[in-house]
Amino acid sequence: MPKYAMVIDERRCVGCMACVVACKKENEVPPEQFRTRVVEKVEGKFPTLRMELRSELCNHCDNPPCVYNCPTGASYKNKENGMVLLKKYRCVGCKSCVAACPYDARYINEEKGFADKCTFCEHRVKEGNQPACVATCIGKSRIFGDLDDPKSVVSVALRDNHSEVLLASTGTRPRVYYIRKFGKPE
Amino acid sequence: MSFEFSRRSFLKTSGLLSAGIVASSLLPDKFLLWAEEQGMIKGRYTPTFCEICFWKCGAIAKVVDGRVMKLEGNPVHPGARGKLCARGNGGTGLLYDPNRLKTPLISTGARGEGKYRKATWDEALSLVADKLTAIKQKYGPEAVAIFTHGTPTDHFLPLLSAYGSPNVGMPSFAQCRGPRDVGLELTFGEGIGSPERLDMVNSKVVVLFGSHLGENMHNSQVQDFAEAVGRGAKFIVIDPRFSTAAGKAHTWLPIKPATDMALMLAWINFLLSEGLYDKEYVAAYANGLEELTAAVKEYTPEWASKETDIPVYQIVETARLLGKNAPAVCIHPGRHTTWYGDDVQRTRCMGILMALLGSWGREGGTFMATKASFPKGAAKPFPEPSKAPLNLGTFPFAGAEGVTQAIRSSTISGAPYPIKGWFVSGTNLLKAIPNQKETLEAIKNLDLLVAVDVMPFDTVMMADVILPECSYLERYDALAVGKGKSLTVSLRQPVIEPLYESKPGWWIAKELAKRLGLGEYFPWNSYEDKIKGQCALWGIDYEELKKVGTITIPNTATPFITPTNPPEFKTASGKIELYSKELKEKGFDPVPRYTKHQQPAKGEFRLIYGRSAVHTFSRTTNNPELHELYPENEVWLNTEKAREMGFSNGDYVTLKNQDGAVSNRIKVKVTERIREDCVYMVHGFGTTSKELKNAFRKGADDQGLITRYAVDPICGGTGMRVNFVRLEKEKNNA
Amino acid sequence: MEITTTGLNAITSPHLHVWDWRVSLYLFLGGLSAGLAIMTSILHVRKGGSLAEGERAAISAPIYVPVILSIGMIFIFLDLERKLNVFWFYLTVQPLSPMSWGSWGLLVFYPVSIMYALAMFPEQKRHLLKFRQLQELSELLSRYKLKLAALNFAMGIFIGVYTGVLLSSFVARPLWNSAILPVLFLTSAMSAGAAFMIIISNQKKVKLYFTKVDIWLVLAEMVLLPLFFYGQYTSSGANRESIMPFFTFSHDYFLYGIGMLLLLVILPIALVMKYLEVKEDHGEDLTASELMKMNVSALMVLAGGMIIRFTFVYAGQLSHLS
Ligand SMILES: Nc1nc2c(c(=O)[nH]1)N[C@H]1C(S)=C(S)[C@@H](COP(=O)(O)OP(=O)(O)OC[C@H]3O[C@@H](n4cnc5c(=O)[nH]c(N)nc54)[C@H](O)[C@@H]3O)O[C@H]1N2
Ligand SMILES: Nc1nc2c(c(=O)[nH]1)N[C@H]1C(S)=C(S)[C@@H](COP(=O)(O)OP(=O)(O)OC[C@H]3O[C@@H](n4cnc5c(=O)[nH]c(N)nc54)[C@H](O)[C@@H]3O)O[C@H]1N2
Ligand code: SF4
Ligand code: SF4
Ligand code: SF4
Ligand code: SF4
Ligand code: SF4
Ligand SMILES: [Mo]
Repeated sequence: MPKYAMVIDERRCVGCMACVVACKKENEVPPEQFRTRVVEKVEGKFPTLRMELRSELCNHCDNPPCVYNCPTGASYKNKENGMVLLKKYRCVGCKSCVAACPYDARYINEEKGFADKCTFCEHRVKEGNQPACVATCIGKSRIFGDLDDPKSVVSVALRDNHSEVLLASTGTRPRVYYIRKFGKPE
Repeated sequence: MSFEFSRRSFLKTSGLLSAGIVASSLLPDKFLLWAEEQGMIKGRYTPTFCEICFWKCGAIAKVVDGRVMKLEGNPVHPGARGKLCARGNGGTGLLYDPNRLKTPLISTGARGEGKYRKATWDEALSLVADKLTAIKQKYGPEAVAIFTHGTPTDHFLPLLSAYGSPNVGMPSFAQCRGPRDVGLELTFGEGIGSPERLDMVNSKVVVLFGSHLGENMHNSQVQDFAEAVGRGAKFIVIDPRFSTAAGKAHTWLPIKPATDMALMLAWINFLLSEGLYDKEYVAAYANGLEELTAAVKEYTPEWASKETDIPVYQIVETARLLGKNAPAVCIHPGRHTTWYGDDVQRTRCMGILMALLGSWGREGGTFMATKASFPKGAAKPFPEPSKAPLNLGTFPFAGAEGVTQAIRSSTISGAPYPIKGWFVSGTNLLKAIPNQKETLEAIKNLDLLVAVDVMPFDTVMMADVILPECSYLERYDALAVGKGKSLTVSLRQPVIEPLYESKPGWWIAKELAKRLGLGEYFPWNSYEDKIKGQCALWGIDYEELKKVGTITIPNTATPFITPTNPPEFKTASGKIELYSKELKEKGFDPVPRYTKHQQPAKGEFRLIYGRSAVHTFSRTTNNPELHELYPENEVWLNTEKAREMGFSNGDYVTLKNQDGAVSNRIKVKVTERIREDCVYMVHGFGTTSKELKNAFRKGADDQGLITRYAVDPICGGTGMRVNFVRLEKEKNNA
Repeated sequence: MEITTTGLNAITSPHLHVWDWRVSLYLFLGGLSAGLAIMTSILHVRKGGSLAEGERAAISAPIYVPVILSIGMIFIFLDLERKLNVFWFYLTVQPLSPMSWGSWGLLVFYPVSIMYALAMFPEQKRHLLKFRQLQELSELLSRYKLKLAALNFAMGIFIGVYTGVLLSSFVARPLWNSAILPVLFLTSAMSAGAAFMIIISNQKKVKLYFTKVDIWLVLAEMVLLPLFFYGQYTSSGANRESIMPFFTFSHDYFLYGIGMLLLLVILPIALVMKYLEVKEDHGEDLTASELMKMNVSALMVLAGGMIIRFTFVYAGQLSHLS
């Protein structure tokens, strides 16, 4: 079974927001709501500055607090592909999962009331396509693939680079990895 | 943050009462969700190309049930490579913008008052035709000028030519690429093209003067940029502002604005004196090395350091980096290059650097355009105007796209002859050309102002007659021929039928031509017929083109100089002109010479501007998909300065320039990312058109503060970074 | 450091705000009904049931329990965004979700509290029950009084703890993510239950009895609150940050500071008043002013419980990990 994961190479992100818009259109996300975002962080004092561009989305945690906190089983971890998904018809909109996610990856769909978030574009992946944000990523900063396949782009990227996950200490075990600097894995 | 009771939640709560109604309306919604999850809803896919900016990326539209759900990049299009930028992805926002122009409108009030009545197409077109005929009779056809930008040009420029006027003005010349194209033509005999023929992906070092790639979001170019960054190419970014590109750079040089030429001349001098240039290349292809060497002697790194605020060691280090990595050095010649009025010469400096590094036509530098082309079809020749064009102004090297502000001046002065009609399509002149007062004054002198547009932007709202064009997703346009590495052709075709009563540009042009008695210039029935004819002539399978969107003609790429593929320089001497005789003959410096520009007085800041990655000039500011990402622009102010002046991040201020022009209110972005002597804002905001519900008076308009502009005497480009502003606490937000 | 984020959701940025007064009220009323359930069990069982004799609250308190709970449930229901899907709560058991436990727990709590109310219905007054079946049921159940009391007590504890666990299970929200929180909420629920009992009872002995009970509970609350804050303060950075709203009187946090001050004032005063009430020599019947004092101190305890629920629900959403 595939073990899907995303690798985000921050070095290559150009902060263009193509991913943000593509995701919204692909998934009919209502106005003013988002499944993914881009963080621009600048540190230092003029003229010695450092910029970090990082796109964020649901981490499809292997240890997902959002799923644990869902009272109806609407949120679940797909055992086959590891994606954290939602059975919309089951969701009561109690917002537990929104409160439970340490990454603020969830929102309540303003139009329909269910708790929504990134699905790793499961519907596209099923058809053999890349997630919408990955497909349009101008910087090829986002890459997607199967960790169980040693030849997949994600496996190669993780092998060749040092990577990190966000808020590792929460023990959520994210499946979205970040490459920040040039350099081999530590 | 405190106890907040969200309005939305309250509404939802009260909505409980109507739970019964909700129940019934949820059923189809549930069904759709289910059907979608089952993969039962499938879209129809139609390729076309994007018009949110001028990169013309191949796009594929997904249509479900007559609604365009999504746009994706066309994998076979070289500008898109399967990807669209945020703006291209948000193209449906234009299509479904509720504020779109829906019917023809005829003004019922004074010009600019914004009072209109709906009209039928027949009525509106006849009115325009009558007025055009009247102007022609009274003043001659040359008295009508066209301002145009983008694909509408392909329909309305022929109309104007058929009508008999040579007076066209596109902001893409005198407000954009003019100086760059002219500077490179004078040096290499040709421009860099659009898309720029840069081989950044293979560069070892890339130099960006301004050129804020990432924010300047030309799709494949930014893809190349990211690729180069990812591959570890070293970027030298020269920008008074810590741009996104600067954030990726090996070296960021926060240059004092308006002094770029000092740095370039010092580099040239250094490369020459250290012998760090490609001697073979220069000997083989270039002219005027001695004159150049002599002319740049005075420009030492020490001198340049004082001019530019860049430490000597950095000037020297970067120059060495260039020399050592030649020829795989990409000097980006910029695109928006109308900065300080000496921009042709600034581009010349870049050209000379490329020549010295031997990077023109070399891997990692620039590549050469395909030599292939499509045959020209027979067409009825346009009438020869009886008066000389006035769109070239007094500028010996003005380009065919015309000098917009020269037409404007003549419209005001009536000299050398009067201009009485403006036909405006696809450009928002009030935002595009500096000094709005002059634009408004010129508009006052007109007998007729017609606007063909999709949205009621500022300039449109000045028009006597407004003709609503449908968006690019609802129409055919001219085939886009790409002359990059290979010869390509792309099709724009409607993905859905035009909404409301809007019509494609070709239809509007043809109908107007009919009414003007110029029908024979538009001899086809539908634009599709015309395209089919062209495809037949060019040997392209139209049905295939319809299916794939873009066809690349095989074996047409000859990108780099090789012994069997020598470069061709279409200059006067047939060589790269380090020293330009042509310029000398017209009384300009044959080798660029540094001119000092005025710097801001105490308390003033130079106003500089640029792009947001999610907007195109003014045209996307009302687009709901993009508006939500960046609803209003901000004025960037250095942290230290902000502290001195008592401004905090997010405060609203107004800007007042040296001539007393005052901006709309704008938020301060307090940041380390900019020098202390300038402020920066994204161009295109602060529209005055009330019809634009999202964009109306959001943010400030940089153009409103650009009352002064420095005209490049060589080509007519309007240097627009020569204004100084003061920040004032917002008085009231009325 | 300058951070600009494009694509934020209003409900999570600049901080979470998904739960409002509805959830706060639900937690308070849920706690109150749980506390009251516990107190009624005590009322009926302590001193061999003699406390309950002739006591109005012996009948009314068990009835209040499901009624208050129902009102609370209305508010949580109001908070659901897809109300028509509530049945899904009961088509699944999610062992890791406190909310799932809670919804099942409440499902059990209802019949228990109703059966308990029936069982405790005094024989002499059974005729007041409208239907014959109810009278019979009441009679039948009255045979299991003790067992039902134990069950009712246990359910009360469960629900009281649950209202705290609901919040404390969120690793993402440092203010809530503390093991002390459920205990604090339970204590506060019980003291609210006792206070409510004081208000609704009509007999001096009962009032004084629950005043004594409440003294211990309020004391416990007053120990738990500082312990909670101390625990948070000595924990990780995010936990330390999380209690700041209560202790910085800045503009944004003003209400939390006020809430904390109120607690600091209300609880001790209530405690002292109660102490004095117990110490005082009362006549056969309570005087009007004595009654009033008792009610006021009880109301203060209730208000304290409310403040705790509201401030914790809101402030918890201000806290985050990153
Ligand atoms: N998203 C998006 N992308 C676009 C467009 C758009 O509208 N939106 N428009 C397209 C078009 S038509 C054009 S022409 C281009 C324009 O984009 P560019 O050609 O990149 O424009 P520039 O003026 O070079 O770049 C602006 C940068 O120049 C810096 N700058 C200002 N003054 C100086 C100076 O004196 N010296 C130096 N070295 N830098 C300075 C500013 O800080 C800013 O970062 O963008 C294209 N791309
Ligand atoms: N102050 C300042 N001035 C500048 C610049 C700057 O950065 N700052 N940039 C300069 C540059 S580089 C350029 S290229 C120019 C750009 O100048 P313009 O091309 O004039 O740019 P916009 O302001 O976007 O105006 C575009 C107009 O075209 C309309 N339009 C969009 N799509 C269509 C269509 O399909 N059909 C028709 N008929 N109309 C359409 C829009 O609704 C809008 O009214 O501006 C230049 N002027
Ligand atoms: S990131 Fe948040 S929403 Fe996504 S799986 Fe992890 S906890 Fe759940
Ligand atoms: S909002 Fe929906 S998905 Fe989230 S926890 Fe509640 S029921 Fe589960
Ligand atoms: S994977 Fe799909 S749903 Fe997730 S952020 Fe990307 S486009 Fe959005
Ligand atoms: S599309 Fe890619 S490069 Fe652009 S902002 Fe998103 S992650 Fe970054
Ligand atoms: S660069 Fe973006 S806006 Fe411009 S044509 Fe391409 S996709 Fe459209
Ligand atoms: Mo431009």
